[in-house]
Amino acid sequence: MRLTALLSMAAKAAFPHDYRYGTNRPWTIAAQRLNPPGKKRRKVFVEPIANEDWHVVRGDTVEILSGKDKGKQGKVAQVIRPRNWVILEGLNTHYRYIGRSGDYRGTCIASEAPLLLKDVTLVDPTDRKPTDIEWRYTEEGERVRVSVRTGRIIPKPVYQRKDGIIPQQWKDGPKDTSPEDTLQKTYTPSLKTLEEEVMEKMNIQEDRRPRKSYWY
Amino acid sequence: MAAAVTSRLTAAVCRQFQRVVTVSSYTQPQCATQAFSKFHSCQRRQTYDSWWFRSSTNNRALHTSCVREGLEDFFDLPENWGEQTVKSGAPWTGKQLRVKSNEDLHKLWYVLLKEKNMLLTLEQEAKRQRLPMPSPERLKKVERSMKRLDTVVTEREDSLRLLQTGQERGRPGEWRRNVFGKTFWYRFKEHPIPWYLNSRYKRRRFFEPSHVAPYTRLSLEKYLRSKIRKEKREKRNQKMLAAVFPKKTALA
Repeated sequence: MRLTALLSMAAKAAFPHDYRYGTNRPWTIAAQRLNPPGKKRRKVFVEPIANEDWHVVRGDTVEILSGKDKGKQGKVAQVIRPRNWVILEGLNTHYRYIGRSGDYRGTCIASEAPLLLKDVTLVDPTDRKPTDIEWRYTEEGERVRVSVRTGRIIPKPVYQRKDGIIPQQWKDGPKDTSPEDTLQKTYTPSLKTLEEEVMEKMNIQEDRRPRKSYWY
Repeated sequence: MAAAVTSRLTAAVCRQFQRVVTVSSYTQPQCATQAFSKFHSCQRRQTYDSWWFRSSTNNRALHTSCVREGLEDFFDLPENWGEQTVKSGAPWTGKQLRVKSNEDLHKLWYVLLKEKNMLLTLEQEAKRQRLPMPSPERLKKVERSMKRLDTVVTEREDSLRLLQTGQERGRPGEWRRNVFGKTFWYRFKEHPIPWYLNSRYKRRRFFEPSHVAPYTRLSLEKYLRSKIRKEKREKRNQKMLAAVFPKKTALA
């Protein structure tokens, strides 16, 4: 048990407590170049927002409140939680050259800059105006985002999975269990351990008695 | 009744310890000539091996022909050979596993184990050929399913043991103090002889010598001081952040 715990600890990515998160994913070479193991960068202060209070999700439509593209609405492409960053598709862009080599200056592309959470607000889907958000509970007990101005529930956006699978269009492969078989209940609670039940089913008779051993 | 309870206890104590380890029985080969010549090369080894092999219990004949049938479980289905990506479904969740009976879980464990062996073979072969492994997320899915299955089975075991005996842990243990004055949870080990006959166990000291006693108090004070310092640092941090990011009362 301890060996697996050790292995899982090694497999999990460990960052120093003052690691500076950037727009690049931490496992990329660009991020490794910006944050080599011994480097100490000036500390950035990040407003502490609890996980329950975070209301922007990837795929949401939000409006920018301040900055170059003030007043524009866009879809959230990426959320970087350690810095309270939100990256929108095609908004708040600056231009940079990519694929430089030798004399060729590279292609000019627009790259989005991240926005802080306090500089964006969610947009009410019905009237498409910016609004403040509160977390409230429905009658069924579900926790939903409610716009304070209109009182309407803002549903969670449907965003395509990274592996491109659409759950409604999934076809089971030869090794996959069908949904009916997966959800079929076969468990009957009993006072037998797994070993005893399996031995009964497989007709294994264990007549040997364990030798007397001492635990200390 | 007591025997049944104790047998259930021993069965419930730990699944790992209950499993009987079987050593594959093996005799000196009579028909296969290659294995025979291997033993001839090292004289000393041969005598040791022959004593073990010729014992009365290990009489089974050795089968040394290489097996070609039956290894197909280590490989994927033939239609997936050479593909760059292989489609695979979602891993089993704990909720789905909890409604399954013990027999189903037992069978599922071995199905998952065989799939894991197949994927590990594939991974090793891909490393050998210096090619990327097709769909490595399958291995993670299988490992997670197996871990969740293990969790479900330990939950059931724990609940049964708590109900029947009231023991919180499957493996017995107790709090002990080691030579350095530190109190730790000592997990018991299984021994064939009682502790008063075990000379190596008697040499282990589970008490702190008198010259170590002052240091226990000092280390406790150090630990408490560090705890208070950490709490104070956290409070100071929160205060500083509240000053840098004041809470906005007016809504946008």
